This record gives sequence, C-alpha cells and structure tokens, in this order.
Amino acid sequence: MSSASLDRIVINRLRRSRKQRVLIAALIAIVVAIFALALSYGQSLTPPGEVIRVLLGENVPGAAFTVGQLRLPRAVISVLAGLSFGFGGVAFQVMLRNPLASPDIIGISSGASAAAVFAIVVLSLKGPVVSILAIVAGLGVALVVYGLSYRNGVSGTRLILVGIGVSAMLESFIAYTLSQAPAWSLQEAVRWLTGSVNGAQLAQAAPLLMALLVFGGVLLSRARDLEALRLGDDTAAALGVSVSRTRVIIIVAAVGMIASATAVTGPIAFVAFLSGPIAARIVGSNGPVLIAAALIGAVLVLAGDYAGQFLLPGRYPVGIVTGVLGAPYLIVLIVRANRIGGSS
Amino acid sequence: MTVHTLTATALRAGYGETDILHGLDLAVPPGKITAIVGANACGKSTLLRAMSRLLAPRQGHVVLDGRSVHNTPSRELARTLGLLPQSPVAPEGITVADLVSRGRHPHQRLFSRWTRKDDEAVDRALSATKTTELAERSVDELSGGQRQRVWIAMALAQETDILLLDEPTTFLDISHQVEVLDLLSDLNHSRATTVVMVLHDLNLAARYADFLVAMREGRIHVCGAPEDVLTEDNVLDVFGLESRIITDPTSGRPIMLPIGRHRIATANAEDGMFR
Repeated sequence: MSSASLDRIVINRLRRSRKQRVLIAALIAIVVAIFALALSYGQSLTPPGEVIRVLLGENVPGAAFTVGQLRLPRAVISVLAGLSFGFGGVAFQVMLRNPLASPDIIGISSGASAAAVFAIVVLSLKGPVVSILAIVAGLGVALVVYGLSYRNGVSGTRLILVGIGVSAMLESFIAYTLSQAPAWSLQEAVRWLTGSVNGAQLAQAAPLLMALLVFGGVLLSRARDLEALRLGDDTAAALGVSVSRTRVIIIVAAVGMIASATAVTGPIAFVAFLSGPIAARIVGSNGPVLIAAALIGAVLVLAGDYAGQFLLPGRYPVGIVTGVLGAPYLIVLIVRANRIGGSS
Repeated sequence: MTVHTLTATALRAGYGETDILHGLDLAVPPGKITAIVGANACGKSTLLRAMSRLLAPRQGHVVLDGRSVHNTPSRELARTLGLLPQSPVAPEGITVADLVSRGRHPHQRLFSRWTRKDDEAVDRALSATKTTELAERSVDELSGGQRQRVWIAMALAQETDILLLDEPTTFLDISHQVEVLDLLSDLNHSRATTVVMVLHDLNLAARYADFLVAMREGRIHVCGAPEDVLTEDNVLDVFGLESRIITDPTSGRPIMLPIGRHRIATANAEDGMFR
C-alpha cells in the first residue's frame, strides 16, 4: 500500500475531473455563443450594444421588437427545449445501456404527439389543455411500453423493440386522425408533427424551466445510480441500487421533461436521440454525460433553428433540420447493432 | 472486521413458473471460503442471486446477522455483502481506476464528495489485485485474466465483509484461474473476508474451499469439509459420473479423476495404484 500509488490515483482523478470541467465550460460557452448569435444576427444585424440594452429592458426603437419579441423568445425556448430533450434522452440511453432507447425512438414522443393531434382534431381542444394531455400521454405510453416489456425484469432490447412497435402504431393513428381533420384544425395539428420554435413566446418559458429544474434535479440526484446501472442490472443491484425503483423514477423524470418540452415545441426530431452519443464522444462515455448531453441538446436546437431560418435556402422548422441530421445516424446504429447480432 | 452470519432457511426461489430452489437450507461459515459445486442448472447461481437479494424468494428467508436481506435497504446491505455476477458489463472505454471506483457506490451519499477514504479504498483494491499498474488503462484492452482481477478489485473497493462470486474463473486459462483463487484466499486470510463462490472445477473447489457445498436439483445434496464431500459416491450422485478420488500430494486435498468410457487402462482395475 505505497502512498505513491495513492497519490497517483488522486492526481489522475483530479486531472480527469479538471478536464471534464473544462469540457463542460466549453460546451456552455458554445451555447452562449450561438444564443448571442441568434439574438443579434438574423435578417438584419443588431449591434451587440443594442441587444444588451434590450435584454436590460430598455426600449430601443426597432431592436426592441426584433430582438425582444422575435429572437429572444425563440432562442430562450430553443435552449430550454434543447436542454430538456438532451437530458431526458441521455437518461434513457444510459439507463437501458443502448443509444436506441431514446424516447423519440421508443414511442414516447409519438405518444405525446398522438394525444395532441387527437385533442385538437377530434376533441377540438386548444391551448394548455392540449399540452397537458400530451404530457400525460407521453407518460402513459412510457409506462405501457415498460409494462409490455416486463418479464422477470426489463431488458433493454425488449423495451426498445416494444417501443418501436408502439411508436409505429401511434404514427399510423396520427396519420389517420390527420386524414380526417377539417382544414381549420390541420395547421394547428401539423405543428405537433414537426418540432418548431416558430411563434415561441416568453410566457412558455416559465413552465418549461420549472419542469426542467424539477425533473432535472431528480435525474441529477440519481446520477450515481445511473452510473452504476451502466455496469449491468445485477452489478448495480450488488452495489446497492434498487434497480426497479430507480428505473421508474428515472423514466418518470425523463419523460416528464421531454413531454413538457414537446408540449411547447412539438417533437423536435432526434435531439433526444443524438445528444447523448455526441456528448459521450466529447466528454467520454464515463464523463459527465448527463450535463453534457443537455448542453448538446441546446446546441442542436439553437443551431438547427438558426440554420433552418437563415443558413439554408428557404426556411425550415428546426425539427426538419435535426431530422435530416439524425436519420443517417439512426441507420448507422441499427446496421451496427445487427452486425453484432443484436445489442444487449 | 465483524463476524457476520449468513443463512438461508427453507429457501424456495425461481424464475417465471418454475422453481429452481426447492426448500434449501445453508449456513455460510463466517470467515471461511465456501465453494458451491453441482451440475449445470442445479441452482448454484440462483442460490447466489437469492442470497444477495437479486432474486426474491418465493418462500423461506435469507438472513444476514438476524435480519432478512430482502428487508434490508439495498445500500446498507451492499456495505456488508458484495456480489460479483457471472458476466458483468464494462461500459465502453471505462478505465480500470474508474471501474474500481464504482465499488464505492454504497458508501456514498446523495451529492456527497469523493473523499480521501474512497481514494484509499480504491488504492488498496488495486494493489490487492495487482492492478495498480493498469489503473489508467481502458478495461476493453485488458486480457481476460486482467479483466477478472479488475472486477474483483471493484468488489473489493466495496469493502464488504462477505463477498459472493458467481463463477469467477470462467473463461480463464488454468494459470489465471489459480491466480484468481489465490487472490481470494489471500483476501480471506488477511481480512477474514467470508468468500462464497460458485465454481465449475471440482478439484479447484476442493483445493481452495474450507467448506464445500454440492447441490443437486435445487437442493443441497451434501456439504462440509472437502474431504467429506468430494467422494466417489457423491460425485456419482451429483454429476452421475463414475470417478476415482485420490489425494493431492501438494495440498492433501481430494482430487477427482473422471473415469468415462474410453482409454481405461488395465492399471485402473488394479486397485491401489493411486492409493
């Protein structure tokens, strides 16, 4: 038991955590940079000085409208929704040890969308009621998928397959409902199919932030249990994790977060799915992936929306941009999983 | 180091519809090495899982220090009783030091900081398993024997007085098997850790265990000192195998030689050649 080896362990641990802090700080800086870009440069350039004055509440002619009314709500909602999608998605992926286990693949997002479309088209509902229904439906679908895949515990692969099946059923339900939709409700309903931050309002930020803080706090308090679950359910249990209870808590928190964001922006395709793996690439799969994935989610939505508005020919909602990014990665993952002969 | 008693009484457990353990009693001798042997599917792993509360019993109890393990908070139990499952999953790209650190999980509270004590436990676990040099390597790139030592190191970092291991020597070549068993014996001698392990190799089990448990069809067929358990009759009952038992000149422990149907030399008939 030489103290030299102990010192080395301590030094390496401190070095690792310093490196991780630097990476997280860099990610935060990127989010802030894109946020600043989105506030100051759109159809026209607003000088940074004016942007800051608008943010401080001054009434700057012209800028007060473009920055305060158009760009700021959009950017704020993008950040909050991105954080929620990234965080909720990675929690699922880590818990089930499979990047395919993301809520947008296993039917949770389609559950929220299906409920919203049904509420708008068939029940002629509007406003917050639709959002609440969407959140409840997201949770409901999560529990149904979890229940259907339960047999002597839940295996990740079974849950993913059940989820993909449930997701397909919900998608066809959405398609059918839309085909019956009267023209006046169609536009409102379609918003639930492609995620978008068009028409974002600052008033939507407060509930979204609340959901993020509450559910995010719950997930962070379970971060160590999640880490242990990466070693397999048996090892995690041997390390003192109550596996089933932890899973239910994580599912409820992650779905709550994702469904709340979906209620505001609609399902922004693949953000939940992509953030975790990108974060793992950056901070290492054993680094602080939860926080990193949340930040990557914010980057994806902010940058995707910015690109959809200004960088591409024509204007696209953010969900189209992220969908185009995410689909090839999904194909790569499925091909790779099949080559290994199914993932565990 | 406190002495812990771990017992199973009238234990009935299984998966789905089928029972695998049919009312089994076992008292694990504290501070000793216990090896569980038996044919495939006789319930060895199931017993280990039930004893470590991974599997809830249908009937009966597993009691640790007078308290049912299934009513003990999992974190509290994990500070006394450690388990190394048969095929643990190493997350991609994890370093040895990082993996071994995970063993500290039951000692940590919500949001509590990593302490000096945790570092020391990791250091001790690494040096006990001779993996200090590997600390910064990625687990993916280790050999089978090294990897198994690292998993044991993780279980050691947990600093439990009882350690259950499900086939810790599977997939290892013979020298690594001996290395792992020597390591567990060291641990047992130096810290009086109670070791309970499922082993496939009867001779290694008899060699390293103080207490040998032979299971058959979900029950304990016989248990006791290796000399009393590893007999020709018991091998026939438990494995359905004709065998000869001789004494290991090195350890004085019994060795089982399977007879089988082929290559039986006449010398075999001349009783006494091996005795």
